[in-house]
This record gives sequence, structure tokens and C-alpha cells, in this order.
Amino acid sequence: MQIKRSMEDARFQGWVLLGPAILIYGVFAMYPLFDVVVMSFQKWNGLDPNRVFVGLDNYRFIFTSDPVFWVAFKNTVIWTIMCLIFPPLVGLLLALGLNQNLFGRGVLRATYYLPVIIASIAVATMWRWMYDPFFGLFSQLMTNMGFGMSIPDWLGDRNVALYSVFIAHLWHSVGFSMVLFLAGLQGVSQTLIEAARIDGAGRWGVFRYVTLPALTSTITIVLVLSVINSLKAFDIVYGLTGGGPAQSTQMLALWAFTQAMQIFDYGRGGAISVVLLLITVSIVVPYLRWTQRHEEAAR
Amino acid sequence: MTAAAQTKAEFDGTKQRMDPVLVGLWISLVLVALIWVAPFVFMIFTSLKTNEAVMATGAFTPPPTYAWENYTEAWGRGRFDVTFFNSAIIAIIKVPLGLAISAMGAYALARMEIAWGKVILVVILFGTMIPFQVMLAPLFTLVNSFDLIDTYPGIILPYIAFGVPYQVFILHGFFRNVPKELSEAAMIDGASHFTIFRRIFLPVSLPVLAALFILDFVATWNEFAMALVLLQNQNMWTLPLGLMSFQGQFSNDYGQLNAAIVMTVLPATIVYLMFQRYFVSGLTSGAVKE
Repeated sequence: MQIKRSMEDARFQGWVLLGPAILIYGVFAMYPLFDVVVMSFQKWNGLDPNRVFVGLDNYRFIFTSDPVFWVAFKNTVIWTIMCLIFPPLVGLLLALGLNQNLFGRGVLRATYYLPVIIASIAVATMWRWMYDPFFGLFSQLMTNMGFGMSIPDWLGDRNVALYSVFIAHLWHSVGFSMVLFLAGLQGVSQTLIEAARIDGAGRWGVFRYVTLPALTSTITIVLVLSVINSLKAFDIVYGLTGGGPAQSTQMLALWAFTQAMQIFDYGRGGAISVVLLLITVSIVVPYLRWTQRHEEAAR
Repeated sequence: MTAAAQTKAEFDGTKQRMDPVLVGLWISLVLVALIWVAPFVFMIFTSLKTNEAVMATGAFTPPPTYAWENYTEAWGRGRFDVTFFNSAIIAIIKVPLGLAISAMGAYALARMEIAWGKVILVVILFGTMIPFQVMLAPLFTLVNSFDLIDTYPGIILPYIAFGVPYQVFILHGFFRNVPKELSEAAMIDGASHFTIFRRIFLPVSLPVLAALFILDFVATWNEFAMALVLLQNQNMWTLPLGLMSFQGQFSNDYGQLNAAIVMTVLPATIVYLMFQRYFVSGLTSGAVKE
């Protein structure tokens, strides 16, 4: 009797503790996730009390008739690939350098990390000013170096704009990968490095056969986080170019937002969101499986 | 200890021999760091220049006269009093409240028998990976149906919802590793889970909570996309929204625009510089496990 009561009591306490988190998360995160899927099968302008079921019409439209969707899709792929290569690579190089015993490395580390804590919309505003074709930093530097005649219109040229936005993103995000790599490097066994040195391994040998294998799990984490963050690219594009010129920096997350909140076609916006969601899930689920197996193996 | 002594010896040794590789490395790291701070220097210099000075002087020429009025004028024209106040209110309510909710939930999931506990945990962890930008439209519809657009609860509740996954993830991992002996003794004395959570688990996890607090403060302070959708009325705007609109209206007042950026960026920068080490531990405790 006593035991049963205390168990019921524990169950009650459990729900009191867990309840608020589940309630808020369920209502404001999971429900919209469900609703966006529902929306993608409907025709709705956001105001009308009726949300009309239209089956796969929205998907048919975005795949076959929407000229912007595939541009946004292509840009998202290019963006993701760039995010997969450059920030992790630069972050790894910086981390390897800063892992040495160097004068002033604390200051250097803080410097590289500083942009990470700045609001991405502020980064966008800063870089928009730096890309100013007349008085911006890059135009001034190029004029000083004697290339005054061939200054590209950084954000106005459709062949250049996406890469200009990416450079700003690189500056903003490298510190994040760097910090993760620095933490990963702490886990590399010093004795192993010493042993390799004694066996006659040079710097490259130590890196290739000791450090790199020890960093495998860190590398995986950084890459997955880079992909996830790159799919979220929204603020920086919105602030720098708004998707232009001529949709040349348009991406899926921003295009979904534009369709729903500015063109008021919630159905098509929803369909684009679902596509992005499926891409994310196809990356995230294998990763979660991998971490689970990894953790079980560690136990 | 021996490793530390050894690297110290190595370091002293390099002073005499000056390992050329390390010197080269150091020089290149400093050069890259200079490139990294250049935007900040450019921004601060411009923020103190008059428009004439911006056009007449080079990018890295210090301002000939300090145009402090850029700051006061940008503050007024950008309605920084309003946006600053809103950002502060939202962060001050959201961050402690959200962290408390996450900590309670993480405790229940880590240390109590909860029906479907594993499933709930996976569903919550799933949230750390989902781009919320995908859900802006349904989120607007939902908040609108509660009649909470342009209200503090209307932005704070979604902020909490999207903060829960990461915080639960970190705290769950931490709570699970707290030794059983600590809580069992209290349990035998008849303490409730509430007491154990408050008296034992919260004090033990103070460093983690501090790290999450600071990370979350900066994230909330910087958030843009959700605020853009959920706060339509100018009087409810947060700093990032105010800055965006400032850029739209006064992009040719270079000095003032940069002053506005500096003022937006400054609070987060100060928090970062003060609590640097918490940042790193907060970020890495989740992603990289020893």
C-alpha cells in the first residue's frame, strides 16, 4: 500500500517536472512541424477560414512550374557543399595551429571565435557595408591595389553574389568548427604522439596516423552540424541580398518563407518546407543512429 | 603534470632554437587573425566618421574627428530605446524560465521512471536537428490563433520551445552521470524528487547551467527569423529587427549605420568577453564527449 502510493506519487512528480517542457515543446515546436506537412497538401492564403485540400498540387507546382524552386534548390546544394568543405577545413587548420604552444594563443583563439557570437543579421549588415561598391572595404582595397577598374559588384552581380554571401558566412562560422576541433584535440592521447615521435614519425606522420584517426568522431560531428546549419541559412541571405539579384542567392529556407509570408501561398511554402525537412531528416537520422551505436560501444 | 612540464620545456627550448615551422605558423596565424578583426576595425572607424570623412578617407584611416553624434542620432532614429528594451525584457524572462523548464524535464528523463521516457527523449533530441526556419508560416498561424502576435508571451513561448531540445540534450547527459549515491541517500531519507532536484542536482550542475545560460542569452539576443514573423508591430521589435529596418532606411548614412551595428553587437560581445570560458565548455560539452 505504502509502496504503491509512493510510486503513484513519483509518477505525479515526474509529470510535474517533465510536463512544462513537453507541453511547450509539443505545442510550439512539434505542432507547427505537423501543421507544415498538412499545409503542404492544402491551398490556403493564411486568412481564409477554409483550408482546401488539394492533394499533391503544391508539390506538382513547385517541381514543374515554379521557376525559382530549382534555382533555390541548386543554390542550397552549392551552399551546403561549400559549408561542408571550407568552414570545417579552415577550422581544423586553425585548431591544429592553436593547439601548439604559441605566444598569445588565448587572444588568437578569442579573435577567431568573436564573430560567432555576433547576430547573423548584424553580420549581414556589416558585410553589406563592406561590399558597398563605392566606399566598402573590398572596393577600397582593390582600388588601392590598382584593380580599380575591375571591381565586381559583389552583391549585385548574379554570378558573384552567392559566393560573396558565403565569404561572410565563412567569417561568421569558422570559429564554431575551430572550437569543436580544439576540444576534440584535447582527447588525442599525448603518450601516443610521443610514442610515434620516438618511432621516428615527422609532423605529417603524427598528424596522419595519430591525430587524424583520433579526431574521426569530432570530424563527423562538425560535418553534420555544418550541413544542418547550412540548410538553415536564412538570416544572412535575408540581410545581405534578400535572395536577389534575380534569385541568384535564393535558397530553400528563404523561398519557403517568401512563398508563405510574402506571397501568401501557405501551401506552396509548406511544400518547399517539407522538401527541406526531408533532406534534413535524411542526413540527421543516420547521424543519430551512428551516435547511438557509438555511445553504446563506449559503454 | 609531466606532459605539462614537458611542453613547458619544449617551449623554452624553442626560444633558443626558434623552430622555423612554429615561427611560420605563428606569423600566419597572426596574419589571419588580423584579417579576422579587420571588419571590426573598419566598422568602428566608420561609425565615428562623418559622411564626408567616409568618402574622403581610406578604410583603415582613423577618423579625423570623432563624430560621436553618429551614436546618439542612430540611437534616436533607429528607436534603439524601444528595441533595446524589448530585447532585454524577452531575454530576461526567456532565458531563466526556459532553462528551468529544460532542467526539470532533463532531470525527470534522466533520473526517474517515466512511461515512454526513451521515446520522449528521442523526439526532443530530434528537435535539435530540425531547422525551425521551415516552420515559420505554421508558427505564425499558431501564435495568431492564440491571439499572441506582437506580445511578449507570443515570442517567448516559441523561443522556449526551440531552446528546450539542446538544453535537455546537454543536461540529460550531465544528470545521467551524476553518481547514484548522491541521490539515493536523500531518497532513503524520504526526500521527494523536487527536493533532490533542487538541493542536489541544481547545485552540482551549476557550471553547466551557467554555460547554457550564457549561450542561450546570446542566442536569444541575436534571434532574427522568428521575431521577423511573430513581431509585426514596430513597438514590439527587438534589436535585430530594428537594425534591419535601420539599414533599409538609412543605408547611405554610413557613419550612423555602423554606429547602429556597433550598438547592436556590443552587449553580446561584452557578455562573451566576460564569460569566454563558459562559452567554450557549453558548446563542446554537447558535441564532443571525451
